[in-house]
Amino acid sequence: MAEAMQHEGEHHSNTVQLLRREITVEGGVYTVVFAGLAILTVIEVLSAEFLNGAIHDAPDAAAALQAIKAVLLLGIAIIKSSLVIWFYMHLKSEKPLIAVVILLPLLIAGLSIMYLLAIPPSGYGL
Amino acid sequence: MAELTASHLPAPAHDDHGHMSEEEHNNNMKLGVWLYLASEIVIFSIMIVGYIIFRINEKDIVAQAHEELGVGLVTANTFVLLASSFFMVMGLRAMQGGNRAGMLRWIGLTALGGIVFLGGQYIEYSELAHLGIVLGFDTASEWSTFGMRFYAPTFFHGAHVFVGVLWALEVMRRGAKGRYDKNPIGIEMFGLYWHFVDVVWIMLFTLIYLV
Repeated sequence: MAEAMQHEGEHHSNTVQLLRREITVEGGVYTVVFAGLAILTVIEVLSAEFLNGAIHDAPDAAAALQAIKAVLLLGIAIIKSSLVIWFYMHLKSEKPLIAVVILLPLLIAGLSIMYLLAIPPSGYGL
Repeated sequence: MAELTASHLPAPAHDDHGHMSEEEHNNNMKLGVWLYLASEIVIFSIMIVGYIIFRINEKDIVAQAHEELGVGLVTANTFVLLASSFFMVMGLRAMQGGNRAGMLRWIGLTALGGIVFLGGQYIEYSELAHLGIVLGFDTASEWSTFGMRFYAPTFFHGAHVFVGVLWALEVMRRGAKGRYDKNPIGIEMFGLYWHFVDVVWIMLFTLIYLV
């Protein structure tokens, strides 16, 4: 209960510890997370546009650049999603059971994706 | 031998009449929403897998689609949805602080964000329809295989936003009557749904429009 109250206090405080500095902003951690999401979205779009240009200019390296683009953009998307789930959906202050509830279907979906990707597009020629 | 008194016993989970405490009730309600969201993950994953496999096998069509789609409108729409998620959590924060008027203002902005997002999606779909990117399977069209892969996840997500807007309006109606003054769990449940819709869009935006 005390822990829950502590988390409640964190959510209602306008002061946030960021990079070892204390900053005060209306909305506290929620506003900082929103700013982070906006900045990451800008980085994401600019990276995609830059790498698309690079792929167009260097067709020989297109496969490698495409792979870099996919990893980079998916990495940013996962960070953004985690920020929303952790702070806005309050997974940070929930019981571990909730994390299991949400991670289990993600694991199953991930394994299913791996399985489906392993099937050749033309089938096995049987 | 130490005497066992009532003060030494752990607090009962239920009161004398077998009713749940408010905290237990809230935890159960939230667990129910999380379980529902877990089932949604599976549904959206199926659509995303379908798109990824198409993306890998039909690189040229997807590259052409990216040129046609552009990212201007959809990036603006993404910002709107991210902002609405922020408004949502601020609404919950306001109600937890006892500020009913503030909650109504923030949740109203959340609903407005959802409506603007749906408007943006309508404009996008109209432009795509002009380009011939439609849902139907037309073998004569170069887009015959792309339409369903694109529209299925994005429209299904849009339907979730529409439901979310209706839910937000209902939360406002109940909130205005003081329903959440003592226990804002109803707002928190709606918040979980709305943020989940935001998370799904974060993934769809990256996978469909950028990668």
